[in-house]
Amino acid sequence: MRRVLLLGIIVFLLLAGCAPRPGGRIVYGLTLAPSGIDPHVNASSELGIPLTSVYDTLIYQDPETGEFVSGLAERWEVSDDGTVYTFYLKKGVKFHDGTPFNAEAVRFNLERITSPDLASQKARFMLGPYERTEVVDEYTVRIVLSEPFAPLLDSLSQVYLAMASPTAVEKWGDEYQLHQVGTGPFVFVEYVPGDHLLLRRNPDYSWGPPVYQHKTAQLDEVEFRFFTDPATRSPALETGEADVMGEIPPQDVARLEASPDFRVEAVALPGASLMMFMNTGRAPLDDIRVRQALLYGTDRAAIVSTIFKDTSPVAYGPLTAVTFGYDPTVQQYYPHDPERAAALLDEAGWVDTDGDGIRDRDGEPLVLDMVLMSWGYMPEIGQLLAAQWADLGVGVESRVVSYPEALEIAGNGGHHLIPFTLSGSDPDILRKFFHSQAFFNWSKVEDAELDGWLEEGARVSDKDQRVELYSQVQHRVMEEALVVPIRDYVNLNGVSERVQGLRFDGRGWFPWLIDVTLAER
Amino acid sequence: MIEWAAPPRRPLLRQPAALAGLTWLALVILAALLGPSLAPGGPMEADPTRSLLPPGPGGLLGTDLLGRDLLVRLLWGARWTLEMGVLGLATAVGLGLPVGLAAGSLGGRTDAILMRLMDGLLAFPGLLLAMAMVAVLGTGLTPVAVAVGLAAVPPYARVARSVTREVRAQPYVEAARAIGATRLRIALRHILPNAAPSLIAFAATQLGWVLLNGAALNFLGLGVPPGTPEWGAMLAEGRAYLRDAPWVSTFPGLALTLTVLAANLVGDGLQEALGV
Repeated sequence: MRRVLLLGIIVFLLLAGCAPRPGGRIVYGLTLAPSGIDPHVNASSELGIPLTSVYDTLIYQDPETGEFVSGLAERWEVSDDGTVYTFYLKKGVKFHDGTPFNAEAVRFNLERITSPDLASQKARFMLGPYERTEVVDEYTVRIVLSEPFAPLLDSLSQVYLAMASPTAVEKWGDEYQLHQVGTGPFVFVEYVPGDHLLLRRNPDYSWGPPVYQHKTAQLDEVEFRFFTDPATRSPALETGEADVMGEIPPQDVARLEASPDFRVEAVALPGASLMMFMNTGRAPLDDIRVRQALLYGTDRAAIVSTIFKDTSPVAYGPLTAVTFGYDPTVQQYYPHDPERAAALLDEAGWVDTDGDGIRDRDGEPLVLDMVLMSWGYMPEIGQLLAAQWADLGVGVESRVVSYPEALEIAGNGGHHLIPFTLSGSDPDILRKFFHSQAFFNWSKVEDAELDGWLEEGARVSDKDQRVELYSQVQHRVMEEALVVPIRDYVNLNGVSERVQGLRFDGRGWFPWLIDVTLAER
Repeated sequence: MIEWAAPPRRPLLRQPAALAGLTWLALVILAALLGPSLAPGGPMEADPTRSLLPPGPGGLLGTDLLGRDLLVRLLWGARWTLEMGVLGLATAVGLGLPVGLAAGSLGGRTDAILMRLMDGLLAFPGLLLAMAMVAVLGTGLTPVAVAVGLAAVPPYARVARSVTREVRAQPYVEAARAIGATRLRIALRHILPNAAPSLIAFAATQLGWVLLNGAALNFLGLGVPPGTPEWGAMLAEGRAYLRDAPWVSTFPGLALTLTVLAANLVGDGLQEALGV
């Protein structure tokens, strides 16, 4: 009996020892130092990692069901024609500086975002055909659009359209990004660009969305630090310098997983897969046979296993598999088939007449100009593609350029091939790449039918109708061989075992820090 | 007057350290010339099934992430090292020598203007200057070699000037001037031949600097296109796998270290052999 009692006490102590406790602080590793972190102004995904916990949004998206749930707005209504959204706000919500949150604050925020003076890089575009905001009464607000815009609810659930304190925005003006004030579970304490960003628990928080598990934050403090060099990330985690680390290099995953002190949380991101855009406006890629040959000549599985150590799925189309509207039938396209690729090139008139290993036609060698950026394993992918295509007799000349340079080159069509990836939770993201007027139309596609589907997809709100439209878009993109999809983006987060309850929102980037606890050792 | 009590000269081949350096440089040059025929298949031939193999029977020095043989890549890489050395040094000497010679032999205002210009450039650390040059010249091996060479111009010009001034003070130069020789003739026929030993020895010591900084620029990704088996670029490629596959960075790093060391040993040896 005494032995049982003793055992019971030991088990109890052990359990108690491991149990999460409130309080404590963690260091969270960010992977790039953004140039600006005002969510209304700047566009980086990195800024949302800390700021999602500083702010609240009008609504939230439940990552499990994909449904929208209440946030700062208790409930909402959409007019039949899809142009007027009425939000009924929660009462008693206060910004960290004491300013009350109300309909006027919503109007202030949306007016700020849409003001041309702010030069918003992302938030403004997420509002689509926004026209104005009307304050109905203190806790009722109406957003009026000039035409229906299906992604609006998705937009309003993201930190870029979060509600900032009007008092603080007016007080700090251009310096607001260093003194941000929201209504969220953590208070923005200080930000030293390139060095660190500190958040402290907001003890008054009680108006969280149903997707949060706790009423107030469990941690006292979260410090964000920047680890821009991928090679330093796992060591920082392993030495205890950081407790959570984003974007762990794939080759470090096995080592961390093997350790009892760490785990890797792989979050598949919705959005556009990492794909190599083929410039259909520049010979020889204006010939669909050449583009299809490149697709058949690509062994994506080898790329994913070599460079990403199988931590991310092979991509078959322009959307990642976890994105709403993804059509799995795109997997039928372009299995690795070098013989078919060679036959297509022969048919297009590209044969190796001079025996130098590179196909040619009318004295012109088949050499493609590949423009790469240094992040996202693009140089490695480029090299492996070049090696695979060399077997087909296709030469590749690659260069690594900075992002602004890449934008300029690709904008002017000075490339044959350029890779890109972008996360986003709505399939409307395809409009950024494949609409003839799109900013990222790096395939230089001009297809009136495709334009029509993409515009229609942004307008209609019926889910089935949208799925149908985007399925057509995905098939057209692959039939026309506009891109070589490589892999779905998976954010590999290295996490110390003492950190518990780390969850991410539906975009896969932004952690819900309110529920994070520290296990006692 | 100059004291000519120079240290005892020793021929280069009698100095063990210099000889070792010379041997290594000869091996590098040999690899650059013969590498492609010694290592069939080419340095870009990827084989994902052989990713990150340790040194062993499969590949003497192991393989990199994309399954490329490191020995093959190192042998091919010698070509870029050779090109970097030749082109970089040619730029440094080609520009530094005329500037230093003109400043030293003409003196006066020419000297002041040229040397203040060189001083201005010397104010920047060499690598930084080279990076600025790359920003102007563009990426690629040739621009990087030229940029590093340009960054080496100011120190070379300074040395050339001081040696020139030393020689200019010699009685035979004064004699040449007395019999009416032109400035150009004095500079080329009297000063240059007598300054040559010092200039050659200094150029040799600069070779190491050029190779190291050229590799540094490639390491930083400012030079050769991705995948090129240049040693500095290879060193950078392996950096991400240092924990799990140290050989990817180790061997290019070792090759680079030995080559820079060899260049410096030969430079020192030359100084001793030429008695400067």
